[in-house]
Amino acid sequence: MSLNAANAFPRIKRRLSPSSWSITTKLTILYALSAFAMLALASGFLHWVLIRNLMQEDNQFLTDKIHVIRALLKRHPNDQAALQEEIQWEGETFRLTRYYARILTPSSRLLIETPGMTALIAPSDFASPTALGKLPKRGVLWQAPHGATFLTMSAHATTGGAHPAQRLIQVALSTSREDRLVTDYRQKLLAVLALGVVISSILGFLLARKGMRPLREITRTAQRITSSQLHERIDATRWPRELTALAAAFDEMLDRLEESFSRLRQFSADLAHELRTPVNVLMGEAEVALSRPRPAEELRQTLESSLEEYGRLARMIDSLLFLARADSGKAPIQRTMLDAYREMETVRDFYDAVAAEQGITITCHGSAALYADPALLRRALSNVLANALRHSAPGGAVTLHARTLPGPVAELTVSDHGDGIDARHLPKIFDRFYRADSARAADASGAGLGLAIVKSIMTLHEGEVTFHSQPGRGTTVTLRFPAAAPSLPGAP
Amino acid sequence: MHIAIIEDDKKTVAYLRKGLTENGFIVDTAENGEDGLYLVQSGDYDLVILDVMLPRRDGWSILSALRRHGGQTPVLFLTARDQVADRVKGLELGADDYLVKPFAFSELLARMRSILRRGPVRQPEQLNAGDLQIDVIRHKVTRCGQSLDLTPKEFLLLSLLARRQGEVLSRTLIAEQVWDINFDSDSNVVDVAIRRLRRKVDDPFPEKLIHTVRGVGYVFERR
Repeated sequence: MSLNAANAFPRIKRRLSPSSWSITTKLTILYALSAFAMLALASGFLHWVLIRNLMQEDNQFLTDKIHVIRALLKRHPNDQAALQEEIQWEGETFRLTRYYARILTPSSRLLIETPGMTALIAPSDFASPTALGKLPKRGVLWQAPHGATFLTMSAHATTGGAHPAQRLIQVALSTSREDRLVTDYRQKLLAVLALGVVISSILGFLLARKGMRPLREITRTAQRITSSQLHERIDATRWPRELTALAAAFDEMLDRLEESFSRLRQFSADLAHELRTPVNVLMGEAEVALSRPRPAEELRQTLESSLEEYGRLARMIDSLLFLARADSGKAPIQRTMLDAYREMETVRDFYDAVAAEQGITITCHGSAALYADPALLRRALSNVLANALRHSAPGGAVTLHARTLPGPVAELTVSDHGDGIDARHLPKIFDRFYRADSARAADASGAGLGLAIVKSIMTLHEGEVTFHSQPGRGTTVTLRFPAAAPSLPGAP
Repeated sequence: MHIAIIEDDKKTVAYLRKGLTENGFIVDTAENGEDGLYLVQSGDYDLVILDVMLPRRDGWSILSALRRHGGQTPVLFLTARDQVADRVKGLELGADDYLVKPFAFSELLARMRSILRRGPVRQPEQLNAGDLQIDVIRHKVTRCGQSLDLTPKEFLLLSLLARRQGEVLSRTLIAEQVWDINFDSDSNVVDVAIRRLRRKVDDPFPEKLIHTVRGVGYVFERR
């Protein structure tokens, strides 16, 4: 139960977090949102334009009316019939919009009005009137208690003739019908909006699915590839341009994987082979020794020979463990600042006897400071030097040289004037168990791991090792180490 | 010298017991952790050889139990797990040294002797073996009254062998002590150096002092 809950929780959490939604979902939501935004913007604008136009028309209508009534009062102050026509009957001719008008004296005495107007809008419901000589531009919206809305306007006026008198004109226009029109229009717009969002969501979903199809196909191809079918490729040219880079990167990764796998296979095979020989010797020697009674001295020789073989096996295991640990980044490395010349001398001293025996002179030159693990540095240098001695002819010379390059990088070189290495061996020279000279392998000096260890040590130090070789003229091995400890952040 | 071996592999126990007994040690053994702890707590041992991976109670737990109860017996760890963290843990818990399997028996003997010998040791100023005299201070070697011309490293090598007369020294130990080279190298560097030393020290004289123990190393002694 609790296990289920624990399992279910992250899944729910994952589904809720937007970053883990499927791209199709995200695209669909984005399509829907943008469609909604576009439609809402368009509808909103149309709605605003409609209301504005209606308002403008209404205002214009009322302004015109005030103008007409003012003119009527001015020019025909006593033409009661015209006034009646304008005020009492005019409103009824407008079937569509209900229009009301009223004329008051300054003391608010009603002179004339459209029938039934007072029941709808009392004189006091109007805003303050516009002064003489000015035409009101915009009316005031007034909501009657029973719900109807009116656009109202009022203005002062004077009668013409011998005894001018002050008048107050009040006009109103019922906007209820327009309101219904606008409401109706708004509902239709909302319906269009909703329908548009639904349609664009569906379209968006279909488009996104179609767009995502190549991705699903790539996934299916990738799923087909197992360690035994590493030769399969996704083939970058088959896909839409956006996915070419992904497909190409994937293929490159497969190239690297295939190469590592084949190296690993080769390495396992080599390892088995390397182990088979000494184990075979050990078994054979012991079997032969035990097959009949022998004097103690002979048995002793057998055991001594076995011991040498065991020693070789133990060293091979050590080296392989070292390489494995370096590969996994677990090798212990304790770096300090070192004097390159002193380290070269230490290694030179170690090989002095061997070199003297072969008539080879080893010389050290130059100087450099470097940041390295002393034991590992000596091991790397020693492996390279042993290699140089092995390839040098009697009477030859091996030179160790140190210098500092910009970077700063400490560069140690080991040069011999021996037989050199054929160019076709160079790419494989750092492979485990690889020996350029199969004939020399028999002398058992080194299991073919020396240079692989050098490479691992250089990788551990974030340095590099390079080989330059000219067959018949000699080889120069260059080791590049960081010359200084990486400065700590915040250190002066 | 009384030695306790706590190790669960029967073959390892057998050859260690045989080898150590022949080298003059008295050996007691236990094959699991519980018995081992009882053994080291009840007996008075000069040195305990302790495997890390043991049934019923591991080597670390034995070591910490031993040290918690005030046991000062030196402990030498044997481990197949060559991880720095393991070594550090062992040394922190109070082990005196460790050896990683596979190890050479001569290496074990050398480490044991060095633990048992610990304490202030005065370097002798003069080493003698038969007609050979080594003046440690003046770096002079004479044999039969004849001065030998040795390089500094040859002198170090001879002094090392002479100082530990009768003890078989492995190539690894020699490389470490003389050249400060701390890894097993496949090459025959030490053999060549010994060969050259012999040419100066042994070849011109009837009595040989430097002897090869095949597959193990070298020993300096009068035979």
